[in-house]
Amino acid sequence: MTAASTTPSTTDTTGPNGTGTWRLRVVHTTGYRYQAPVVQSFNEARLTPRSDRWQNLVVTRIETTPPTRSFRYTDYWGTEVTAFDLHAPHTELKIVASSVVETGETVLPLDGATWADLRADRLVDRYGEYLEWTRYVPRHKELGQLARELRKGRKPHETVLAIAELVHDRLTYKRGTTGVHSSAVDAWEAREGVCQDYAHLTLAMLRAVGIPSRYVSGYLHTKPDGVVGETVVGESHAWVEAWTGGWWGFDPTNDIEISPRHIWVATGRDYADVSPVKGTYSGGPAAAIEVSVEVTRLA
Amino acid sequence: MERSATAARPKRGARDTGPDLGGLFEGYLDPRRPHAGAYDEMFAQDDAAVRQAYRRLHEQLAASQPGDLTARSEALDRALVDQGITFSLSGQERPFPLDLVPRVITAQEWARLEKGIVQRVRALEMFLADIYGDQQIVRDGVLPRRLITSCDHFHRSAAGVLPPNGVRIHVSGIDVVRDEEGTFRVLEDNLRNPSGVSYVMENRRTMARVFPDLFAKHRVRAVGDYAVHLLRSLRAAAAANVADPNVVVLTPGVHNSAYFEHSLLARQMGVELVEGRDLFCRDNVIYLRTTEGERQVDVIYRRIDDDYLDPVQFRPDSVLGVAGILNAARAGNVVIANAVGNGVGDDKLVYTYLPEILEYYLGESPLLPNVDTFRCWLPQEQEQVLDRIDQLVVKPVEGSGGYGIVFGPDSDPKELNALRKKIRAHPRGWIAQPVVQLSTVPTKVGQRLKPRHVDLRPFAVNDGKSVFVLPGGLTRVALPEGSLVVNSSQGGGSKDTWVLAARSSTADAELSGQGLVGAAALDEFAPEQGPELTSAQQQQQQQQ
Repeated sequence: MTAASTTPSTTDTTGPNGTGTWRLRVVHTTGYRYQAPVVQSFNEARLTPRSDRWQNLVVTRIETTPPTRSFRYTDYWGTEVTAFDLHAPHTELKIVASSVVETGETVLPLDGATWADLRADRLVDRYGEYLEWTRYVPRHKELGQLARELRKGRKPHETVLAIAELVHDRLTYKRGTTGVHSSAVDAWEAREGVCQDYAHLTLAMLRAVGIPSRYVSGYLHTKPDGVVGETVVGESHAWVEAWTGGWWGFDPTNDIEISPRHIWVATGRDYADVSPVKGTYSGGPAAAIEVSVEVTRLA
Repeated sequence: MERSATAARPKRGARDTGPDLGGLFEGYLDPRRPHAGAYDEMFAQDDAAVRQAYRRLHEQLAASQPGDLTARSEALDRALVDQGITFSLSGQERPFPLDLVPRVITAQEWARLEKGIVQRVRALEMFLADIYGDQQIVRDGVLPRRLITSCDHFHRSAAGVLPPNGVRIHVSGIDVVRDEEGTFRVLEDNLRNPSGVSYVMENRRTMARVFPDLFAKHRVRAVGDYAVHLLRSLRAAAAANVADPNVVVLTPGVHNSAYFEHSLLARQMGVELVEGRDLFCRDNVIYLRTTEGERQVDVIYRRIDDDYLDPVQFRPDSVLGVAGILNAARAGNVVIANAVGNGVGDDKLVYTYLPEILEYYLGESPLLPNVDTFRCWLPQEQEQVLDRIDQLVVKPVEGSGGYGIVFGPDSDPKELNALRKKIRAHPRGWIAQPVVQLSTVPTKVGQRLKPRHVDLRPFAVNDGKSVFVLPGGLTRVALPEGSLVVNSSQGGGSKDTWVLAARSSTADAELSGQGLVGAAALDEFAPEQGPELTSAQQQQQQQQ
């Protein structure tokens, strides 16, 4: 592994290495309020942080109001899913997911694959799902051209950083322009979006140049120099991972490396594979949806 | 053809209409008929000799007059209308035409077919278990991963769902055809919701009513006990600790083209026929709403496509299915038959890898060969398809019921160019096959019998211990002259399919009189006396 030199980070003051690891508590609350009582509500929550080599899950819990009996399983992508259903009429549903996680050290770009490696049949076959076009990440001529220009004279891992930088520079972070169903192209045409759009747009360009890449859903502690014991309003966040000899993540919304501030929950081809809460119910539309994320650095 | 043409006495001077077979068969082997190279199941190609399987049938038919044919055909049509056997063609209900000449398969031919089908089902079961598990076949590099991940019917949400007895393909329909040599070849596998078995049973009932004399001369194996095997398979599929499993048949409703079949199977099995709204899921357990309250359901024989089965996992707008049913199956509280995601096993591109799949899981080579197939997603094979597209049959990998199939020889250049474009844009979506001249069987056309092309869909039922293949199957016949498209959705008809019992096999002994139709009892009834048999049939109908 070598450190990237093309895009020195401006927002992340901690810099690579020497950051150590953080212990974080994240409390993610999702609330639905309905105009009239609803019944037959079936839901799946993907809110449990991963436990793997990079990140250690200490404790996790998902609670609902009204209370439900939950069923857990690990899905195709390796994500822990909590499924639950409600049958008594209710006008409010609250889902609280709390976890304590020890995050890993800052992730550095991986200079492990050449363009020829990425073109090899075996590799294209192995990571085919992460090169696919999807509804959220469709093939787009202009985005493809932009990505191919950035590839010139760059190695694959450098191209990842260049693409993320371009997405970061061209898009303005703004809520309300795009919605949960907006695609990379919708965001590109609006030149505005939120982290989900930044991630999809980056994926569209990475896949255009044949770099296997996937969507990551998780959380971000908003302060680079987080104070232990202080609770901040965090974000339900999204970023990308690219394969250039191995998987490594990068955060195009902030144009920063994945650091101990990032907690990751799920990966997939796009948002549809990892949506934090999805469900169906019988009744009128939800009058209000509230989402809040509180992140506390514990150590 | 040369030999038969010279050996036969040419009719009316210069016009060569082939060997004179006389009576109903006049002009049957006319050498100018379309696809004259096809294998005729009744007459040998070279000397017009009647093949063993059809010898007795031919004797009986040859003795009939064209007037008999018409009378019997009308009796058949009336019987079908009485029984209400219809199917929907482009939204219109109409009777499914049953031809009066049965299709005959000898015991030896059937034994080979049966073995081949059982082999295929066993391998495909192992394939599906692997694909929705560790995907060892992909890790071992036997199949490309993309073959699986690019398949629209590979449902990632079914990964990790383990059926209690391991069976995913409770019912399959393996479509076979006979090529120019008479060799049975598999055209496609149907592992999702194969339909048509009700026609197999109803065709037999109708034929036995209208032509008891034909059955008297043959030892035809019975097909009427299909529901017994189906119910055994469904009960065996239930979780091990369920003593008396509650089985239901889930139908999309009366508007579905196969509703007749759904209701017939439910009635014959003696289980409830339900729609999605009759069921509900609570805490991963499925219940049936009944007048006496809710009753837990253990096994659901569903005749609803995956996409509509569970709005939580698939189409959220579906009102046909049951929300939460897939997680109920994942939790082991209910069994969905056939399993969710079986479509990855009958994808027409995956089909081309069947020899590799058989070798990998069973260490065997296919007992039933495939039809030669070009894979458009392999650049070299795509090139060949684009070059020879006017000679090939091009099929969408997802398609069923004959929809989307393009016959190169019948298409104009404009259509072919449009097709080339589609193939280039989405190579994974298409395969191509040489035109297989499906075998022909005599079929009533007007006052005569004419060769018409047929295929065969045998039905296999897996109860986890053994795979039972119903001795018979749905023979579909393309009614227009020269047509090779047999799908009922494309205006085809059907034939009763007779599998003859071996003369002196142990299997035969086991069947005794019970498993065979056409014992002497039926012989007593001439066609005119049909109503005697009819009263019992209609009684059954009224109980629906």
